[in-house]
Amino acid sequence: MLDLALLAFVAMFLAFGAKRPFIWVLAYIYIDCVAPQKIGWGLIQAIPLSLVAFVAAFGGWLLFDRKRGTRFTLRQAMIVVLLVYCAWTTTIADFPVNALAKWDWVWKALLFAIFLPLTLRTRLRFEAVTLIMVLALGTIVINGGVKTALGGGGYGTLALLVRENAGLYEGSILSTAAVATIPLALWLARHGTIFKPDWRVWTFVAGLIFASLLIPIGEAARTGLVCAAFLAVLMLRSAKRRFLYAGLGALALALAVPFLPQSYLARMNTIEDHSQDESASTRVAVWMWTLDYVKTHPFGGGFDAYRSNSFTYKMPKVTGSAGNEHVTYEIVTDKARAYHSSYFEMLGEQGWPGLIWWLVLQLLGVWQMEVIRWRFKRREEGTASWQWGLATALQQAQLVYLLGAAFVGIAYLPYMFMLVGMQCGLWSYVKRTTQEPAKATFMRPRAQIVSAAV
Amino acid sequence: MRAGSELLIDILTLALTHGLMAIAVWRLLWREDLGLDPEDLAAPRRPWLRKPANVEDEAA
Repeated sequence: MLDLALLAFVAMFLAFGAKRPFIWVLAYIYIDCVAPQKIGWGLIQAIPLSLVAFVAAFGGWLLFDRKRGTRFTLRQAMIVVLLVYCAWTTTIADFPVNALAKWDWVWKALLFAIFLPLTLRTRLRFEAVTLIMVLALGTIVINGGVKTALGGGGYGTLALLVRENAGLYEGSILSTAAVATIPLALWLARHGTIFKPDWRVWTFVAGLIFASLLIPIGEAARTGLVCAAFLAVLMLRSAKRRFLYAGLGALALALAVPFLPQSYLARMNTIEDHSQDESASTRVAVWMWTLDYVKTHPFGGGFDAYRSNSFTYKMPKVTGSAGNEHVTYEIVTDKARAYHSSYFEMLGEQGWPGLIWWLVLQLLGVWQMEVIRWRFKRREEGTASWQWGLATALQQAQLVYLLGAAFVGIAYLPYMFMLVGMQCGLWSYVKRTTQEPAKATFMRPRAQIVSAAV
Repeated sequence: MRAGSELLIDILTLALTHGLMAIAVWRLLWREDLGLDPEDLAAPRRPWLRKPANVEDEAA
């Protein structure tokens, strides 16, 4: 029954695209985020939904969409270069079979990030993409949030819609993505035209934000907690009433702490003291191994190069009651530990050129969004304009992602590359629809010179 | 949590978000500004066929 319902929903998406081909782009985003083929059990798993939606989206754009004013931006070109570079490192990968398996989804994420900005030509399209991204992620977030609220959480035990611990369904990744999506949901609540801002929209967004903040608790993901705190600070920068906002935030935190489960608080305490936590200890060991690895492999080892790592170390273990603690050291050997950091993931897999290229790509996005903010703040509409709001939301989302990326291997996460695609689209849109302020000049305009001479 | 409760939450979540997405896509079908921004829609389709205002004044 669920299978048929999901299939009918996808079919509806694709059928509506026959009238408005842009809807096929939205269909791809929905399928890529929610992965309905993994939720269903039978027929839906047999159909290559993602491929069908992408072919439809690209074909629809190529054959039916207007191209006037469409620009290919610098960052899209950078993604093309990254795509080609990753293809090359895949051919020389240490683990060719594993590398090919990862390449199979990475190239799609990069290609879609290159393609998406070409379709974003109107304000409504930006809103539609944002809405589908928020609702698609909301499907997983609300599900996890409700289950957490009803006591179903725990590290690695929160059952989401699928029995798979990968992509957006993995705890730390979902926590980062959920927190990064909060600014986008708020932008929709303020500037939405598909669902105009009213009490129903605000109620839904408030619920979604609450569920997003419950995900790090339900998943006991330390990354999510750090990201949420960072987002609170970032939002302070754009808030009108900063002191009221900061006071309410502190009050909400003080009220929430007593209701947090002990297991969660115990895990969060390991952020400060990670020496007894195997997960944190091995991360540091893997990062050191990666730095050593690129000394002999400056161009990286291709996807999944971490599989060759192996290290033995001593880990302290405290036993006994308080005041009578006994510390013993256990020798732990780990093999093929994942990077647990996007920065080291890029470094180990793509080497120094790949990491630098990826960093420039990301930081250029932060800078471009800042330029848009700066430009619109000085206009008549100021911070009330939708462009200023969207640039701010995309910048906050990306900064949260870049922080979360320090602890999770999400360098090529398709959801985040969609945000990069939106940034490219917004940058191109703003360039096309607004005039840049005239540059300062020390020469008088020709007309004035002529009139002065007369 | 019991499996029955989890299934119920799954179905309710899917119904809520998918229902909203269906409404959103349905509304998009009828929006003219999906293909062109409102200011582009207001502009004449073939601006080169329209005489400038000062030319019309001179003719009069």
